[in-house]
Amino acid sequence: MSAEALPQDMRSCHIQLDSFEGPLDLLLYLIRRDELDICDVPVAHVAGQYLLYIRAERELNLNIASEYLVMAATLTSIKSRSLLPSHQREGEEEADPGAELRRQLIIYRAFREIARELQRSEETWRDIYTSHGERDRWSPGGGDMEPGQASLLDLLRALESLTVQEEDSPVHSVAHREMTITECIEALEKAILPGGRVTFSSVLGLQPTRKLIVSYFVTVLELVRRGWIALRQPFPFAEITLERTVRWTLDS
Amino acid sequence: MKQLCELTGSGEDSLVQAIARIDASFREHDHAFNIVEVAGGFRLATDAEFGPVVSQLFEGQKPGRLTRAALETLAVIAYSQPCSRAAIESIRGVNCDSAIRTLMEREMVKISGRMESPGRPLLYSTTQAFLEYFGLADLDHLPRMEEIAGLLGMSSSELEERDLFPGMDHAE
Repeated sequence: MSAEALPQDMRSCHIQLDSFEGPLDLLLYLIRRDELDICDVPVAHVAGQYLLYIRAERELNLNIASEYLVMAATLTSIKSRSLLPSHQREGEEEADPGAELRRQLIIYRAFREIARELQRSEETWRDIYTSHGERDRWSPGGGDMEPGQASLLDLLRALESLTVQEEDSPVHSVAHREMTITECIEALEKAILPGGRVTFSSVLGLQPTRKLIVSYFVTVLELVRRGWIALRQPFPFAEITLERTVRWTLDS
Repeated sequence: MKQLCELTGSGEDSLVQAIARIDASFREHDHAFNIVEVAGGFRLATDAEFGPVVSQLFEGQKPGRLTRAALETLAVIAYSQPCSRAAIESIRGVNCDSAIRTLMEREMVKISGRMESPGRPLLYSTTQAFLEYFGLADLDHLPRMEEIAGLLGMSSSELEERDLFPGMDHAE
């Protein structure tokens, strides 16, 4: 059939292939439109309808995704096979050329329904906010991870966030004086008043150097060992809070 | 749940009942909160009624809805996981590259291994974030065989006869 011979209504209310999720979706649409039974689809009829659509689409737009063309070829092949007399020997069951396609259609329709169900849940849950991890849920890279769980994507993200940080900090070199543990202890003594609390990051100040972080961290461990401070960390990777114990004052 | 059992030393049944009681009292008094079971645990959640108000807190952070392609791909992965891209594409009949990429970026899907076959294709599975996003307690809470059959207007035996979901456990 040439394009000119397309029924007029087909061209006017022709539906763009873009609105279908692939050839199976289009086939299901045609089957439903013609009120056919999916378990007993007359392939010849559907093949004709399908090709009409593809032709109409090609009239307007040459770029038809290859999968639509593959399906067109499959349908044509099934149709031609069903028209040919079969050469099967007696006793052998005649293979139905359309059976595989029907099976595929039923499976696809099942998953399409499941996808709709998921969409309904999505709609419902967009309005529900839960207590934990709400922000984690939306910020990439959030959430707890177990060893060996990191994927390539996670690693790439981590690298990305590192390079971003690097770019953000202004470039100028300042000669940093290294701090000894004793100096760190003195600084901490000033920072944490008896009975007071302070977070580890506030001790470090803005943009601490790696050396400074390590020095303070080792100092904190040393102080814990001596029993001069107590540490609190509500969950892994959370802010550490330092608390001065009575022993610090007593011992020193 | 296991953790709760260990912490309280009570049985799972009595804990579930206790949680249900707390939830019931929330609902009875028309609280803005209730308890939901999601992603293998229990959480305090705001009532959907207040969604529009609460959403203002997270303005601009909320990701968009998933596309139909992404939802379909996710459905296939959820039911046949771990599964390869080729398996998903043979069911959907279209290329699923970008849908899988979107789902990976949204952390709904992760790579869970490789298939021991030529080319060692990657296998995909759903994540905890998937359960959270759709408010599912666990994978068993996905629509069951009978429900799918109902949606299709077929009997579940009809579906099973055709052995459409070889990977699925119908026994449950």
